[in-house]
Amino acid sequence: MHVKTADHTADSAWSRVIVHADMDAFYASVEQLDNPELRGKPVLVGPRSDRGVVLTASYEARPFGVGSAMPVAVARRRCPDGVFVPPRFERYKALSQRIMAVFADFSPRVEAISLDEAFLDMSGAHAIFGGPERIAREIQRRVFEATGGLTVSVGVSATKYVAKVASGYRKPNGITIVPAHEVRSWLAPQDVSRLWGAGPVTQEKLHGLGYHCIGDVAAADEALLRRQLGAMGVQFHDLAQGRDPRRVARRRSAQSLSSDRTLASDVRDPAEVRRHLQRAADRVAKRLRSKGLRAGGVRIKLKTAAFQQFTRQCAIAPSDLAADFYAAACRLYDALGHPGPFRLVGLGTFDLLRAEAPRQLGLFESARQSNLEGVLDAVNARFGDGAMHRARDTGSQTILDHNVNLDFVDEDEDG
Amino acid sequence: MKFTISREALLRPLQLVTGVVERRQTLPVLANLLVVARNGALELTGTDLEVELKVTVGSVDVEQEGEATIPARKLADIWRSLPDDAEVKVSVEGDRSIVRSGRSRFTLSTLPAGDFPRVEGGAGDTEFHLTQDNLHKLIAQVSFAMAQQDVRYFLNGMLLEVTPDHVRAVATDGHRLAMATQPCSSAVSGRVQAIVPRKGVTELSRLLEGEDDATVMLGKNHVSVRCGDYVLTSKLVDGQFPDYEKVVPRDTNRSVVGDRTTLKQAFLRASILSNEKYRGVRLSIESEQLTVRANNPDQEEAEETVPVTFDGEPLEIGFNVSYLQDVLNVIESAEVHIGLSDTNNSALIESPGQEGVAYVVMPMRL
Repeated sequence: MHVKTADHTADSAWSRVIVHADMDAFYASVEQLDNPELRGKPVLVGPRSDRGVVLTASYEARPFGVGSAMPVAVARRRCPDGVFVPPRFERYKALSQRIMAVFADFSPRVEAISLDEAFLDMSGAHAIFGGPERIAREIQRRVFEATGGLTVSVGVSATKYVAKVASGYRKPNGITIVPAHEVRSWLAPQDVSRLWGAGPVTQEKLHGLGYHCIGDVAAADEALLRRQLGAMGVQFHDLAQGRDPRRVARRRSAQSLSSDRTLASDVRDPAEVRRHLQRAADRVAKRLRSKGLRAGGVRIKLKTAAFQQFTRQCAIAPSDLAADFYAAACRLYDALGHPGPFRLVGLGTFDLLRAEAPRQLGLFESARQSNLEGVLDAVNARFGDGAMHRARDTGSQTILDHNVNLDFVDEDEDG
Repeated sequence: MKFTISREALLRPLQLVTGVVERRQTLPVLANLLVVARNGALELTGTDLEVELKVTVGSVDVEQEGEATIPARKLADIWRSLPDDAEVKVSVEGDRSIVRSGRSRFTLSTLPAGDFPRVEGGAGDTEFHLTQDNLHKLIAQVSFAMAQQDVRYFLNGMLLEVTPDHVRAVATDGHRLAMATQPCSSAVSGRVQAIVPRKGVTELSRLLEGEDDATVMLGKNHVSVRCGDYVLTSKLVDGQFPDYEKVVPRDTNRSVVGDRTTLKQAFLRASILSNEKYRGVRLSIESEQLTVRANNPDQEEAEETVPVTFDGEPLEIGFNVSYLQDVLNVIESAEVHIGLSDTNNSALIESPGQEGVAYVVMPMRL
């Protein structure tokens, strides 16, 4: 077990105690737990087809340079002795429920980010559970017992962002505690890829601008960052200082994903409302696909200029396609029949399922739309967001000026 | 209004008409039945604005003609709880209706008959006759496949198709499709299609029994069915039903023939250990046998082997077991034919000897 030893005795001085607990190579570890023959071997959980990507690589496989999101074909080449195992999401989910139940024993405020990671708000729990280090050890022990042998890495700090970076700092089975007064110095030497929202395209951009570690960003002038990177630059500047005001949302898991936007000016024209629904559908569908999820429900949220809020929802055949969400949203909007004007137009999806979960095929569904949206993802991933968009959105200020790729931005912050 | 009738004579009509009344209404009067006593007969009508059911009961001792609306569910509950051989006297005095029988007396509120909305049936352009039994069977063979509250609203109902020589019913929820046909001659040219909403279908099916004819009239916006003393009028779903013929596979290259009861029981047992949410089962078809496998997140497993007639290329394919069970429950023949092509395409389930009856089930990727 690794423990970062630092001065964190003055627990009462912590304004907030945020824990990020992240299971170690979760899917692969579950496979090794269930099948003793796999223990000690490089295990790669992923689809059978060569076209898919590796979901999780066990720690034995990682020295070969194999990791999650790597194409299966590449992983096979790098790690020819790796044992490929198809995912069993139902099993992972069952274990995840036990893990989340353990977390719930520690705090009423648990935000599950996925099956294998969660934030716990432990502020004010010092008297019950002791200091950060004791909390972290206790979480590790309880998870190990509840699952019959799985390990978890724990990061503790005063903000969600730093807690998350900390949990990834020493893995597996690690504990990293970063007290508030050490945050800046602890973050400074870390690579900019650790900034929340910095994808491959943005990382390259940051390097090009001369920002290599987080300390470079922290030291930069905020106005300069804004000029260079827009709203995203300001966000990075805040993160680099360890500033992250987001609270731990009290929710069981990411059961919904939505895109709600307050508009630059109120809209009344139904065609304009639909355009915003389309845009939201595009964003939500792309996010779902990138997370490997499908949604079984769609809801729309409309807030009038008079701040009256309407939400309407319906079930749909599980999908990850913007076309399906948009069609359902339009039906809901038509049925609402409110003339507006609206200051906020949003679209959300719920009843989220893993894309690999059993999937009932439909009699009337077409493969064409799914191919189209998949290509769109690929283009935008390679050339940056917004590289390809709808022709009718070109030049539309309200739509195209929001290309910042910040994860979590759209998710409901609190139940 | 004042009339006397036996509990027995009005029990079934009252229950059927009350069945149309929704538990929650948008207008208070929709909770009531319209009761009209005239010419020695009693007419009861219930409606939810989409479906209206009217029954005429003859040989009633009408002491004073008149009309009123009376709370449906309360009246039906009282009626059902009276002794079997009760004689009941119903009268309306002022804005109250009074129900008396033996030593019981009930005073119910009323609302003016003039406020009761009627579904405007209008004249039907297409008309056909089927025995009530046959119409009932036609509905029973397909209605389980109707969608429920689907955003594709045109799936929340049953397609009724009339040609000069047959009547066909088709229902689909987008995952499976059921089709049944009855020979029936009618004076239509070409083919007429209408979508009867889910509620119209269920209420109609409750009415039908016996060898007497049911007359079905299809209009532009309504369907009206007269059977015996009942007239059911339903709005039609305004929408385009999918081209069902396109999704009935015509070129399945694997044909499995098995005993329906044996398969049905195997599916039932296997389903117990299938995932409760997805209900998936894996079918492995090889020479002369079909194996059904199911497992759940607790890693419990079921395996059933059923002897079948099959000598094609082996195939493994997943299905929602409920969809297969639904089909095997409505097929009546001893044998069942299952046509398959590959893992990603639909299964065609047919019953030998039942012309024009077909079930299509899309697979599940497990």
